[in-house]
Amino acid sequence: MDITFTPDEERFRARAREWIEANKPSDPPVENDLEARRDFDLAWQSRMYEAGWAGISWPKEYGGRGASLMEQLIWYEEFASAGAHEPSTLFVGLNHGGPTLIACGSEAQKSFHLPRILRGETVWCQGFSEPGAGSDLGSLSTRAVIDGDDLVVTGQKIWTSFANIAEFQELLVRTDPDAPKHKGISWVICPMDAKGIDIRPIRSMAGHQDFCEVFYDEVRIPRANVVGQINDGWRVAMSTLGFERGTAFLSEQVRLTRMVGELIELAKLTPLGGAAASAGDRATRTIDDADIGRRLALMRAEVEALRSMTYRSVSRTARTGVPSSEASLIRIFFSELQQRVHALAMEILGPQILEWDADEQPVTTSLGAKRRRIRETWVFRWLLSFASTIAAGSKDIQRNIIGERVLGLPR
Amino acid sequence: MDLMLTPDQEAIQASVRSFLDGELPMARVRAIAQAGAKELAPLWRAAGELGFFGLAVPEASGGAGYSITEEMVLFEELGRALAPGPWLGSVLASHALATAGSSNDELARVLAGELQVAVVDATSSASSIVVRGNEVSGESGYVAGADAGTAFLVVAPSSVVYVAAGGGAQVDRRPSMDPTRAIAVVRFAGVRGLVVADGRDAVTALLRRAALLSCAEAVGGIQRTVDMSVEYGKVRKQFDKPIGSFQAVKHRCADMAVRAEVARSATTYAIVSARDGAADQDFQVSVAKILASGAYVQNAADNVQNHGGMGFTWECDAHLFVKRARSFETAFGSRLARLDQLAASFREA
Repeated sequence: MDITFTPDEERFRARAREWIEANKPSDPPVENDLEARRDFDLAWQSRMYEAGWAGISWPKEYGGRGASLMEQLIWYEEFASAGAHEPSTLFVGLNHGGPTLIACGSEAQKSFHLPRILRGETVWCQGFSEPGAGSDLGSLSTRAVIDGDDLVVTGQKIWTSFANIAEFQELLVRTDPDAPKHKGISWVICPMDAKGIDIRPIRSMAGHQDFCEVFYDEVRIPRANVVGQINDGWRVAMSTLGFERGTAFLSEQVRLTRMVGELIELAKLTPLGGAAASAGDRATRTIDDADIGRRLALMRAEVEALRSMTYRSVSRTARTGVPSSEASLIRIFFSELQQRVHALAMEILGPQILEWDADEQPVTTSLGAKRRRIRETWVFRWLLSFASTIAAGSKDIQRNIIGERVLGLPR
Repeated sequence: MDLMLTPDQEAIQASVRSFLDGELPMARVRAIAQAGAKELAPLWRAAGELGFFGLAVPEASGGAGYSITEEMVLFEELGRALAPGPWLGSVLASHALATAGSSNDELARVLAGELQVAVVDATSSASSIVVRGNEVSGESGYVAGADAGTAFLVVAPSSVVYVAAGGGAQVDRRPSMDPTRAIAVVRFAGVRGLVVADGRDAVTALLRRAALLSCAEAVGGIQRTVDMSVEYGKVRKQFDKPIGSFQAVKHRCADMAVRAEVARSATTYAIVSARDGAADQDFQVSVAKILASGAYVQNAADNVQNHGGMGFTWECDAHLFVKRARSFETAFGSRLARLDQLAASFREA
């Protein structure tokens, strides 16, 4: 048992830290300026690529860093500790679409798409969920009919983040309506500029517009864009679920640790009750309240335990070589903790939260240097936190997975 | 970075588990828990023969030469079995006696399981004990596993004194809310013992070890509540289906599994931090205690709920974990005290 890193890993950490510190971009654009976010993220990705840091977990033969599991862990820790900008518009390409092509794509698909994703030239989005197929993804009904060398797609997808700034979409379609539901699905690369695609943004409860609905009206997609075999799309989609083996969410865990630190600072700066400051009066600080103090202490302990939990999960994966099913345990603990942290921020801020303009989007989700906008940013992040137990498998589905796959309870 | 068990540790785990499965099935735990030191004697000697009390004692002193990480494995199994008796005191005593390098045969007797040693936490506010040199006076708070035949490891604020069995301590057994953990109040009237650790640092190290091993013991109990609920959820049928197929039960079991993993991770990390003398080791102890304590209390309650009407009976084992969770919570720095300590550190920083 060991909680230290090897000298090689420490040297890797030092190099990563130095490079991130010297190169991390400042002044990201505001949340709702999607075009500007796209440009900003692509430029940042391109800088990482030039320096050899892109695709930290991608194999070297596909242009990635090919880092070991421990190096991935270290990279994400350093990235988040430095408060480096997360290129969130590129998440699907880097962490899902790209890895799926690596696992199941043809040589032509790989050689065209992978370099473009890594170099920061294309944005990908996801076309999985539908209005009638959320947790029950396998019941999706967007149809694709084979017509010569094309698939002709008709239907609707929903919750597609960045559909309106993406070049490509990983799209799940039903190619055999008569087969059992998981056996008639295909995984297709959909060019977002194809004729017949209509994109409508959805405004979230936080006021921002990352999400879209996407409508397909007889959209023709070359059959060569099918990844894997026709009707084998479910297996293709599942092949990369564990791609990053528990390290993909690591940076958001480190960010949550930072946030708890920021929350403790906030409780020191905020007078109890959140009233406009009778500044300098120690006795009225929120941090001095016994109940708030204990809740902050519990959260500080919980983020620390979250880190130990991740280290344990990564240790297990390093030992066994397969993604650990305990990742779903971490996911539940993390997402609920994240919500508690943000809910406590609202209590600490008190009546200050009441004045908030949903149209005035803060600069990304990181507090960064924008100290004067602390209050607005906490409110925004609190509203965003409601998504963390819904996105990427709701907490209810996660509990089913734990109950059935980890504990072996009957379906 | 590796927080998984080593092959040696897995071997220790398998050996301890098979021993406890054989010697301490739940019916036996219930039978001997309240009977005291005499009833425990054969078990203690058998454990001594297997080397349980000397895992972290140097080989030169008659131990196995391992460290606290191997003791963690032992205590997790003890907690899983809800083993009664002063295991913690005996393990701490062998370690303290060996570290003190005292060349008496007490260490050999503790290692052999001929003696049971209970820990007296004289740093707690419930204790009025005063230690001067090697002389102990005053009355303890509740001491787990103390009996007429036990020796004592008295942990005072700036020294630790080992008091031999029959050395003049007066043991007053009290009815214990936790049926698998006997308690007593112990009075010392100028009883002389052997100083086995001197100075605040040595005391802090011993209390840290005590807190961590009790967390490891709790982790075993926490895991057992998950296992019991899952097992029952598979066999108990209502509405013609196993109750574990209902999401109300399944999701509660999932939450129990999450808490178990959180507690285990925090405890493992804290124990390796202590072994390595990491700069933040005391913070990590608090993290482990806070999370293990919360997890144990809630998992034990959920386990009663999952067992329905049976769960509320004396016959069903579920209540034993509810009670053990509380006796764990109060010892060696309670959850609340540790939360307040942490909160105070934020205010000062």
